[in-house]
Amino acid sequence: MNPILSVEGVTAGYGRVTVLHDISLEAGRFGNVGLFGPNGHGKTTLLRAVSGLLQPKSGRIVFDGQDIAGRSARAIVGAGLIHVPQGNRLFPDLSIADCMALGAYSPRARPHEAENREKVIKLFPKLAERWRQRVRTLSGGERQMVSIGTALMSHPRLLILDEPTLGLAPKIKDELCASVMDISRGGVPLIVVEQDIEFLLELTQQLYLVNHGAVATEIKPGESLDHGEIMSMYFGH
Amino acid sequence: MSALAEILFGGLFQGSLYAMMAVGLALVWTTIGVFNFSHGVFMMLGAYIAWQLVELGLPAAVAFPIAVVVMAGVGWILQASVVRPLIGRPNIVLVVVITTLAAGSLIENGALTIWGPRSKQIPALIAGNATIGGVGVSLHQIAIIVITPLILAALWMFLNRTRLGLALRAVAQNEDASHLVGLNVTALYGLAFAIAASLAGLAGIFMGGYRFMSPVMGSDPLLKALIVVVFGGISSISGPIFAAYLIGFFEAACSYYFGLYWTPALLFGVLILTLMVRPEGIFASRSRGLA
Repeated sequence: MNPILSVEGVTAGYGRVTVLHDISLEAGRFGNVGLFGPNGHGKTTLLRAVSGLLQPKSGRIVFDGQDIAGRSARAIVGAGLIHVPQGNRLFPDLSIADCMALGAYSPRARPHEAENREKVIKLFPKLAERWRQRVRTLSGGERQMVSIGTALMSHPRLLILDEPTLGLAPKIKDELCASVMDISRGGVPLIVVEQDIEFLLELTQQLYLVNHGAVATEIKPGESLDHGEIMSMYFGH
Repeated sequence: MSALAEILFGGLFQGSLYAMMAVGLALVWTTIGVFNFSHGVFMMLGAYIAWQLVELGLPAAVAFPIAVVVMAGVGWILQASVVRPLIGRPNIVLVVVITTLAAGSLIENGALTIWGPRSKQIPALIAGNATIGGVGVSLHQIAIIVITPLILAALWMFLNRTRLGLALRAVAQNEDASHLVGLNVTALYGLAFAIAASLAGLAGIFMGGYRFMSPVMGSDPLLKALIVVVFGGISSISGPIFAAYLIGFFEAACSYYFGLYWTPALLFGVLILTLMVRPEGIFASRSRGLA
């Protein structure tokens, strides 16, 4: 199977600060991909470059055979690469219904709006109960459901989740993890950044450790690791 | 009785004009997060374009809508030339104050060169006068009092009931997330400016119908609109609308009881008091967002 996304030698950063140094990785060849590694080492920056929020300085980002590096975020969403950013800071004063309508804004997603809405409600029945409520009045877990639901409304061909369980209570977190597994079983390939390694090991088939703006280690299917080994990677000994 | 009628009428009339102006300022602030100091000039330019079209022989019913549409284009161009290139720079708010002031000054002096300093007037929306509750009023002013709420309601419907309006509200709240659902953020910025400029142009046409026009006619309404948005809070568009009418009534009452001379001082008194007691504005919520 060809990778749906391949990042080839991307260098990117903010102003004069370079965060990503010639980073390369692939997604979709073996299933879901997990990214992990210490905070502040470029995982979020990588995702911003992939989704067009940040223009890479050099390198290629190939999505479904096309180089999307430097294209607008709108064009990339239009191609079906959907990014759920970290921290569920969506549209605080819009209702859940409004967010879902926005998710289906791109011409590609518009014809599937009703069908995707059904999917989201089936996946997150809690959202249906609060359909007209403003996002700011929801709990952290519910806001994360809205973020993911909005992304599903965009009819993703590849879904990127940046720390979906960050800051959630354990019970809510388990529910959300189960929902993410459901999305994956529904046939949408995922790239997930997550600090919870157990969850990543369960969800993904391929792991990358991102450290100092580059891939430090790649873990392919079959090369299973135990918790201790990953911890030692984190702390570098 | 006639005192009350006079204050009520004056307040509704002034409030309508302020609301038209303030809504445009608020729309640009909430979507782009910048303050447009050429907003008063938009008002003037709308009035002069309407005057020119009428002068060329077009009937007012044709000239006024054309002027409003032309102003939408002017707003878009101004946004593309002096606002968009600066977005993402540090101190954007201050920088845009300066660039819009500069553009405004350029347009103002351009108008002076093209149309000259002599005062002009455009036809009233409806000619004639009426007496209501013992107060003599012009039908033009009555028309403004009736039309303005309809236009503001239409704007509200657009923002709250259409997908494009929803997109504008979304950009106002979170730019990154707007990019990530595939909104054309640049075009939405242009749209916000275009709507604001058309509303200001329309306010100019309203004003040019009962008062003499000059190239600096927009500066006083801009100042009043500033007071309105500080008073009402700029984080929404409904706040400035209510505030505009309140300020209108306040101004009418002040003019009636204390005279025109004291009114600006009292208005600024209200402004200072608001800034001391409730700096976010009396109708404001804590975050940016339309509707």
